[in-house]
Amino acid sequence: MFYIVCALAAEARPLISALSLRKDDHACPYDTYFSEDSTCVLVLSGMGNVAASSAASYLLTRFGFRPDRDFLLNFGSCAGSIPGLYLIHKITDEVTGRVFYPDMLYDLSSCGLPLSSEKALVTVPKVISSLPDPDLLYEMEASGIFQAASRFCPPHRMIFLKYVSDSGEEDPKNITSALLTERAMEQLPHVLSVLEYLGKEECPEELIDEDLYISTCLGLRLSETMRHELRQLFFYAKASGQDIESILSGLASEEKIPARSKKEGKEVINVIRDRLL
Amino acid sequence: MSSATVSYNFPFSHIYVEKKVLGHPRTKAILSRFSKSRVIKIDHYKDVFNRPRQSFRLQKDSPSLILAGNTGASVFHGSPVCQDFGYENFYYTSSCRNCIFDCEYCFLRGMYGSADVVVFVNLEDAFSEVEDLLSKHPVYLCVSFDTDLIALENLTGYVSAWAEFTKGHPDLTIEIRTKSFRKDIFQKIPSCDRVIFAYTISPKEVIGRFEKRTATLAERLSAASCAMEKGFPVRLCFDPVIYLPDWKKAYTELIEEVKGSIDLSRIKDVSIGTFRISSEYMKKLRKDLPGSSLCQFPFENHNGVMEYPDNLRNDMECTLVTLLQSSISQEKIFLATF
Repeated sequence: MFYIVCALAAEARPLISALSLRKDDHACPYDTYFSEDSTCVLVLSGMGNVAASSAASYLLTRFGFRPDRDFLLNFGSCAGSIPGLYLIHKITDEVTGRVFYPDMLYDLSSCGLPLSSEKALVTVPKVISSLPDPDLLYEMEASGIFQAASRFCPPHRMIFLKYVSDSGEEDPKNITSALLTERAMEQLPHVLSVLEYLGKEECPEELIDEDLYISTCLGLRLSETMRHELRQLFFYAKASGQDIESILSGLASEEKIPARSKKEGKEVINVIRDRLL
Repeated sequence: MSSATVSYNFPFSHIYVEKKVLGHPRTKAILSRFSKSRVIKIDHYKDVFNRPRQSFRLQKDSPSLILAGNTGASVFHGSPVCQDFGYENFYYTSSCRNCIFDCEYCFLRGMYGSADVVVFVNLEDAFSEVEDLLSKHPVYLCVSFDTDLIALENLTGYVSAWAEFTKGHPDLTIEIRTKSFRKDIFQKIPSCDRVIFAYTISPKEVIGRFEKRTATLAERLSAASCAMEKGFPVRLCFDPVIYLPDWKKAYTELIEEVKGSIDLSRIKDVSIGTFRISSEYMKKLRKDLPGSSLCQFPFENHNGVMEYPDNLRNDMECTLVTLLQSSISQEKIFLATF
């Protein structure tokens, strides 16, 4: 599932439309949009670092971000010297001086984002009137999103995609909603390509049969420590390609399961271990 | 495990360089080898290396390289779970962190939160530290402890540098532990009886299943023979001994192959130690590798160290000793005890 943070509706509009996202009509602190198949949820944070970090926290906690299979995407505009869409590998918070590094594991070159499309970005507290460093990009949300999300999200599952909307020297009045949407629309194919590409990643399989594990714990009258021991045996059985279910069936037919006491349960754990090794 | 549908960037596609070492000659030499990589300037290597919630497993497929200057100590007392081979002043040094191989049982998975490879370019500072120690007493130093220095030799040249340094310091003995196949290194460095090349020796099945990207058994044995021919002392490390359902057969065949490939009478010594790891590290290994039969084995916790059950451990150690002692004198066999 993709968790997307955009600051402004104007930046998000092409994405909302292309993904056919629907606005959540329930009372939400942030405007929130869903895809029908629940593969995507997008939140509009509003401008600024605090707003963005709050929205990211809301998004990730409210909708159950899973760090082993979900992605956080921050898509938005920035000021920069060369128009285009950029993948961000370094985020500097201008106010605090802190620096954050998304983990650049995924090869997104097939989405039109080769290594050369990567840039470093500076999160600033207010709209800038000139580009202090023409090699860098400037915007107002990424560092807040990174800081909030890093509590939940591995650094390789945070993707920051920024498109240049202006050179940083233009009159802010000229940076209209229409302009932001138009520039976002230009980069939409790449963004959709990233979503489609990362969406292909295989989900990790469930390693143990939780229902069988719980019913076995109950049948063996296990203490908490013994449950941990049994759980480890379930993991080992799966990892070593052995069928724990048939071992348990065998023990049931030998009338060792269910156990009549904790002590008997402990003995059964030892038998399971012996049969696995 | 790489996904079939998503690919990762090539190894060292991203090189993070501390600003303070940007001008260091080693930094420049290393960077000159990677014209296609992105170079990202950083303040401190820990800003990248210590990021929370990194995936060691995925980073192993696409590690970044971090070039840094070590500002703290770089020489440490040896860990009690490591063998000192009878040397009194046993130290290890950490001029690189992590390696390009991918061993499922590696303690570095538990020790570090990142699989990115760190190279400290200020090796001379480590030399100074060692010289301070040498002014007090002889030193036995493991230089390839939390890395495989030979595997990184093209990048760093540190094996050559340590060998040269050791040659010039008569009270220093170093051990370079490796799973590499490289033999060319023995042509490049001066032979020295205080530069010990230590080869981790594992059955083919263990290498194939648990020691990804490392040299084959035949390659390691061939490299070990080559080292001996060039006058270097060679240590064979049957450590860690790994449990397999047919471990006895696998290790019996292994020893036969070793005996057929290497003149064991010329070996400096061998070490034998069954797999063991701190329970804290094991938690991280199991989380990182939920599908690993090696990591998910139901180990016993002995005072904070996860080990095979006593009877299995003793059986494995005794078997290895018995298999080896017909070819190697008892005093050359070191068992891991702690």
